[in-house]
Amino acid sequence: MKKKEKNATKKITRKNAIKKIGDYGKYAALTAIGTYLLLNPQKAQAASPGAPGVGF
Amino acid sequence: MKTFIKRSFVEKENEILIKKIEEKHIVWFQNSNSYLIFENSTTAIIKKLYAKQTLSEIENWCRLKFDLPKNLAKKFVKDIDKLVQKQCQTAYKTTDATAINFVSPNIYDRSKYYLINKIYFLIEFETEFLETLIHPKFAHLEVSKTNTTTHQYQIFQENGRIVFLVAGEHIGNWNFKDIHLFQGKFSMEIVQHIHQKEGDEWLGVFHASAIGNGKNSLLFLGDSGNGKSTSLALLQANGFRCLADDFVPVDVKKQEVYCFPAAISIKKNSLKTLFPSYPELKIASEHHFKRLHKTVRFLVPNNLDHTAHLPCKALIFIHYQQDIELELKPISKIAAFEQLVPDAWISPIKENVAVFLEWFLKLPCYQLHYSDTKKMIKTIHKIFNDDL
Repeated sequence: MKKKEKNATKKITRKNAIKKIGDYGKYAALTAIGTYLLLNPQKAQAASPGAPGVGF
Repeated sequence: MKTFIKRSFVEKENEILIKKIEEKHIVWFQNSNSYLIFENSTTAIIKKLYAKQTLSEIENWCRLKFDLPKNLAKKFVKDIDKLVQKQCQTAYKTTDATAINFVSPNIYDRSKYYLINKIYFLIEFETEFLETLIHPKFAHLEVSKTNTTTHQYQIFQENGRIVFLVAGEHIGNWNFKDIHLFQGKFSMEIVQHIHQKEGDEWLGVFHASAIGNGKNSLLFLGDSGNGKSTSLALLQANGFRCLADDFVPVDVKKQEVYCFPAAISIKKNSLKTLFPSYPELKIASEHHFKRLHKTVRFLVPNNLDHTAHLPCKALIFIHYQQDIELELKPISKIAAFEQLVPDAWISPIKENVAVFLEWFLKLPCYQLHYSDTKKMIKTIHKIFNDDL
């Protein structure tokens, strides 16, 4: 059950990275070339949430 | 091979960096420190915008190339221009620079001495709670009191924030919900001191585990719970050296993976697999993370040479999966990049970004699913020995 929830979360994250430049209606080719991925690295060095103290 | 392009806006200049990745392009925007992956035609339009071609010139090019009505070509180019401007106007900010007034405590309840790479650290904690945020991962490096301390760190609370000083200098302060960022900054200070490199000499820090064979290293990446640390522990019990767990620094100059000597976090559900190799885990203290419903024990890394740094041979996206004995396959650069970047700190300095992209694009990337430990170890040997 937990695994399913985790997978769902990952899909949402992946979906969030996919963006569209605009809506071009029936021009499917333009919609395809106007699709891009937006990736932002972490803003600071971070320990993973499993590090000591996190989650207290 | 640097291909920075500069474009002037009303108030500021912004540079982008474009690199080909498979059939697409990565475009890095300096101001927002964002990586966008575009189709080739879109990248061509961005290049034209930066080459200061007029919008109508680009619209015409676009109309002919894609056989579009004039109004649609105009909208497409305008939308791309808007997107580029948005990236250029989004300022990148770090999260630990909040200015606060603080008074360093006169007395610190807890003091610990650590020895790493012949360098003595004195770390003072105002409270026992603050000590629990750091000490468990470094307990194996603790030494008795010494008068030859090289670096002094102080950690205390002020107005509900954790404040971190190094040699009396304010490094940063964090909310309690951002404890992982405080721990990250603490780890980075340790890395910089033990390897004697400044902040701008690091390419990035990756949320990964790293092993070495004396000549090269491999990085294991993947979501939390995929088995990065467990695989690292299994490999260090079978002749490999642990370079880093969870926090893997890579330098700019040679793009090598550097040792981070903190202990390996072992989750409860991995203990049974690891007890035969590490009986000491049976009596190791447990640390509970209530909110995450997680319990971990810490395993001492086997690498005694904390000065170690090795070139990276490959990135391996690992997943312990019960129904698969072993499956190794190369994955696309784009798929690897998508997983790597959001989970990493990558230096926002433009020269370092160029080095990062060159480094990443040359690295082989694999996906490894396994449940058969022996086969996994054999496969790792093969990857190190170019024997796949």
